[in-house]
Amino acid sequence: MRIANHHLLDALCAEYLVGTLRGGARRRFETVLQDDPLVAPRLRHWEAMATPRYSKMIEVQPSAHLWQRLERELELSRYRQPWHKRAGFWKGWTSVATAALLILLVVVVRTPQSVAPPAVEIAKLSGAGGATQVSAQRARDGHKLVLKANRPVLAGPNQSYELWVIPGPGSAPVSLAVLGDLDVTITLTQKTARQLRVGATLAISTEPAGGSPTGQPTGAVILAGQVTS
Amino acid sequence: MLDDKLIKALLLRTAARDEGSALAFEQLYKTCAPLLLGVAMRIVGRQELAEEIMHDSFTKIWTTAGRFDAFAHHPVAWICAIARNRAIDTLARHDVSRVQSYHDDALDDQDGALDRLFDWSETADESEDRRRASAWMRDCLGRLQGMERQCLILAYVQGLSHGELATHLGKPLGTVKSWVRRGIANLRQCLETCMGTAR
Repeated sequence: MRIANHHLLDALCAEYLVGTLRGGARRRFETVLQDDPLVAPRLRHWEAMATPRYSKMIEVQPSAHLWQRLERELELSRYRQPWHKRAGFWKGWTSVATAALLILLVVVVRTPQSVAPPAVEIAKLSGAGGATQVSAQRARDGHKLVLKANRPVLAGPNQSYELWVIPGPGSAPVSLAVLGDLDVTITLTQKTARQLRVGATLAISTEPAGGSPTGQPTGAVILAGQVTS
Repeated sequence: MLDDKLIKALLLRTAARDEGSALAFEQLYKTCAPLLLGVAMRIVGRQELAEEIMHDSFTKIWTTAGRFDAFAHHPVAWICAIARNRAIDTLARHDVSRVQSYHDDALDDQDGALDRLFDWSETADESEDRRRASAWMRDCLGRLQGMERQCLILAYVQGLSHGELATHLGKPLGTVKSWVRRGIANLRQCLETCMGTAR
């Protein structure tokens, strides 16, 4: 029987996309998907029509070592341009060196103090025991928030950390990110960037895997600190 | 919301296998990894498994980027499907006990779940077709019977099987299967009506 002609093809595509087509039926559908040229376009049709986009609430920040492992295993260095071959490197080097010299002269002549760091600490988060402290630093462009823990802290199985900002006294917490560990860089939306002002509070709670199910903290707040700059 | 045009450009550059491919793939990873890890985490509920799924998904994206059809696919949906399928396969291979530890009020709150878990907002660079499809989907999901909608969302987001749905909802397996089947049929009919109206 050609599955593409089967009157239940649309229903099979839908159950496959929803995820309730399981086990042998799912494997058979995937085999037909490869073999029958009429099935894949039908699945793509429903994928395009009926696949909603996930919201940012569902996102979880991965640990940095996961990318390093992927890069090593896929041998990505073979597909990187060596630094000395990069387009315009030598031409650019001349321009950059000249510009750097000019900037250095201006800085030396006009401002004797050192160049500002790329990120500034805006809050220090600490907990009841005081063993763990997290420095929250904001990148100078204002759109990135960098968390640096004084020791490695990883979420356990069935658990995530969630970072919240409480914009002011009496305000409801707003979720900034769901975290697997406490050494991460988070991209801020325009709205959350505005909420991170002096007097706001940053807090980290423990939540079920994947983040708070209610949109508000449900677990214990383990670390908190006020935004001071 | 991830930008389909950007993801498509990064996928095509990744597939080119030239000296810019690793950089494009790295940007793709940085842009999409939080979403794929979140999708996997919702389904398997365990961080170490979710990280393996994300790793395997990006390995597959790297090796199959050349097969990505730039004209036929929505790239974000394509990469999400890779992670979801991998997560569902993982459930079959591992003894992942999820229903017992599963308590997601967000999904049980039928009115709120749709707007908390999914992003229905329009983006400037989105195609008119995509914009209409998204609006129709939101509307048609909203029109489903409560239990039909809840079953479809639980299965899609949390990866629950018919049996797990029955356990979670405390209903007979046959009843849950009917809800899923009717939910899919009603959703399809509603979407086809929308498509017909739009023609």
